[in-house]
Amino acid sequence: MIKRYISLFALAFGLMLGAAAVIAQESPALPAAGNNLRDVASLRRGAHIFFNYCVGCHSLKYMRYERIADDLGLTEDDVMNNLNFTGAKFGDPVISHMPADDAQKFFGKAPPDLSLEVSAKGADWVFAYLNSFYLDPKSPIGWNNTVLPNAAMPFPLWELQGVQVPVMAPAKPGDDPQIEKLSLLHPGTLTPEQYQQAARDVTNFLEYVSEPAALQRRSYGIWVVLFLLGFTFLAYLLKKEYWKDVH
Amino acid sequence: MANEVVDLGRRRFLTTTTSVVGGVGVVAAVVPFIKSWEPSARAKAAGAPVTQSLKKIESGQQLIVAWRSLPVFIVNRTPSQLDALPKQDSRLVDPGSNGASADQQPKYAQNQTRSIKPEWLVMVGICTHLGCVPNYVGEMKPEPFDPNWQGGYYCPCHHSRYDMAGRVYQGVPAPKNMVIPPYHFVDDTTVQIGVDPQGAA
Amino acid sequence: MANVFSNIGEWVTDRAPGLMPVYRKHMTEYYAPKNFNIWYYFGSLALLVLVNQIVTGIFLTMNYDPSASGAFDSVQYIMRDVEWGWLIRYMHTTGASLFFVVIYLHMFRGIIYGSYQKPRELVWLLGMLIFLVLMAEAFMGYVLPWGNMSFWGAKVIVSLFGTIPVIGKDLVEWIMGDFLPADATLNRFFALHVIALPLVLLLLVVLHLAALHEVGSNNPDGVDVKHGPKGNRWDPTKPADGIPFHPYYTVKDLVGVGLFLAIAAFIIFFQPTFGGWFLEHDNSIPANNLVTPAQIKPVWYFTAFYAIVRMIPSALGTAVWGVLGMFGAIVLLFLMPWIDAGKVRSIRYRGTGFKVALTLFVLAFFGLMLIGTDSTAELIPMFFGANVDVTAIENLFGRVMVLIYFGFFVFLWLYTHLGWEKTKPVPERVTTHD
Repeated sequence: MIKRYISLFALAFGLMLGAAAVIAQESPALPAAGNNLRDVASLRRGAHIFFNYCVGCHSLKYMRYERIADDLGLTEDDVMNNLNFTGAKFGDPVISHMPADDAQKFFGKAPPDLSLEVSAKGADWVFAYLNSFYLDPKSPIGWNNTVLPNAAMPFPLWELQGVQVPVMAPAKPGDDPQIEKLSLLHPGTLTPEQYQQAARDVTNFLEYVSEPAALQRRSYGIWVVLFLLGFTFLAYLLKKEYWKDVH
Repeated sequence: MANEVVDLGRRRFLTTTTSVVGGVGVVAAVVPFIKSWEPSARAKAAGAPVTQSLKKIESGQQLIVAWRSLPVFIVNRTPSQLDALPKQDSRLVDPGSNGASADQQPKYAQNQTRSIKPEWLVMVGICTHLGCVPNYVGEMKPEPFDPNWQGGYYCPCHHSRYDMAGRVYQGVPAPKNMVIPPYHFVDDTTVQIGVDPQGAA
Repeated sequence: MANVFSNIGEWVTDRAPGLMPVYRKHMTEYYAPKNFNIWYYFGSLALLVLVNQIVTGIFLTMNYDPSASGAFDSVQYIMRDVEWGWLIRYMHTTGASLFFVVIYLHMFRGIIYGSYQKPRELVWLLGMLIFLVLMAEAFMGYVLPWGNMSFWGAKVIVSLFGTIPVIGKDLVEWIMGDFLPADATLNRFFALHVIALPLVLLLLVVLHLAALHEVGSNNPDGVDVKHGPKGNRWDPTKPADGIPFHPYYTVKDLVGVGLFLAIAAFIIFFQPTFGGWFLEHDNSIPANNLVTPAQIKPVWYFTAFYAIVRMIPSALGTAVWGVLGMFGAIVLLFLMPWIDAGKVRSIRYRGTGFKVALTLFVLAFFGLMLIGTDSTAELIPMFFGANVDVTAIENLFGRVMVLIYFGFFVFLWLYTHLGWEKTKPVPERVTTHD
């Protein structure tokens, strides 16, 4: 009897591990972002970069300033003075000031709302995207990106990272040359390591924004699961007791 | 067939324990569902404090602003309206707002004029009977519903009447004075509804 | 206190004398075989998930906006602004996937122990109807968040009806109420998802249980306990191998419920998207009628049937064959009681041919799932190198799987109707219990 429960549990656990393995190798080409939602300091730094470099064009229309303050342990004054530069109310969502028509004119397409960017593309993708801008004289905006070729966005963080140029792999005759890697032409105000961390922080913040409930659900989850396992154990004792009648 | 003696005590104990633990689980599971009916973050954001300039409200005029979706009356009362207030006391249910209506206003508005500054009335315009919005009838002249009318509010639903401080008259269905919300003056000509003055709890 | 309860009980019994017998018939005097094993948890678990879907679904409708312009925003509103809305939604989405896990295992139990065989054909038919309605219910629920996968899923699935000759095109427009999935589509799917189909489901579940309790439960030995010796410690006239459902199976099912809920809670709180299997990444992008997601595929629980559509090529100028194949795959399951004329019920006493065929059938089902989820696009280069023709290998593999799937039913018919099956002797009484 108990052996069978153990085997059921092992089966369920195995299925979960298998699924996790499938999950893990979903986008094998991209390096792991390595961000950590529990790192509140990183979330704050990420928010800071977002509100200084990104919110000019990108909205977070499902995210309220007040929620950011609550979840990141910031006061209303912190948020209203250091993050909110649009004059929106504390309870309002984060809406960029850029008129959609202008954006259409400047970039050819409206900058997307980033509320669900990490849900849609994954943290690894966002992290890689922020690391993969390079100068491209052929592009109308002067920039290009190896993760999203012909991206419509000029690189907003170039002051921080510096300017990257592509290094071409030796091409076979007849083939188009492929980019092998990017190298730093002019250093930015941050060292490459610092920039990696900054990109990770922004990614972390955007992952938080894509599902703010993630912070709560993990802290509740462990207690719920433990409670249910405890209940299962009690139910098992009860079952054994009653089934003494059955021969 | 089973001949061994069943330990009824153990059985009863386990049944009770499992039921209690299961019951606790069910109750805990019900809590999020009940909580989901509370005002959402969007409703709360819409209920944030409202700031209103008083510059354009002439003496004797009323402006209605929405706070938490409720109509809030802001009235610039005339000196004669203010003079009439103490004279109504004998006709009111709770003239001092310290009886049935003791909880209808913050402490700092529990006075004759039910306000921080005498001329400015800031009040949630909801009749305390069944929740209609009373009409502002500011002129002091005989009205069909009261030949001795001294200005105030008249509820169209069930004819409750209030004076110029939102205090309810005797003999009408409404039981209490209308509610004064928390508010304070940001400066001489700006009022913020939803936030107490500094120092007042 | 106990006195009060018994008084209330008497008061009710006085006025509705039929109620207590109903309770006895289905609970305390429903004698189920005493040898149920692990496979017998999934019936009660399916009921549990159904209740979960109804309760969480009712609460979701309180904040959901069934319009093309508001649906996507309202889901995010539930996830962020409504207190505990995220938990209620995750309970619903996880419940949907686990519903199919439980139902598939429940159906598999029926196949391995021959639970569809006489006299339980009606129970099986009603169960298959539940499965069919559940698929429609799940599909329409999947459309409601109005993400890009919802939109294109709706478009593709509804287009299946477009392959029907002559009336197909008009039928598709009639189902959608527009030329693309639009406001009208969303509104009618919402109405069907939240009230029409749940009512049908509930009715079918009641009939499924009523039909089961008429004939009594099968068991892992496939022995008819009703025809066995009589007399147990509760009643001298009832089957010797039967035990009252309440309290014995209620307490046993409670163990299954606890374990199941613990697993469900683990998913809800730690892996609610299940890596994109329960909630797909592309559905975080609002519906866009101009851009199809890079990988358009149904949710995992439809993929085996969907793969059949993909693997059957068009012929004679119509694509209807694939759709017929898909519906045929489900219709054949309906016909199991007549396809399988086996002399014994349980796999424990069936011939080797049945065991081999069933194993292949299960492998084919998983193989089709791999194709339907597009996992083959990644797996084939892993096994055969990067330079192979993925589509050719996938088609070959997939068509073999389709043949095995349908071959199972053909083989089973021949195997049992022509008397090829060599069965083992079935014992008089049930063999084991725990």
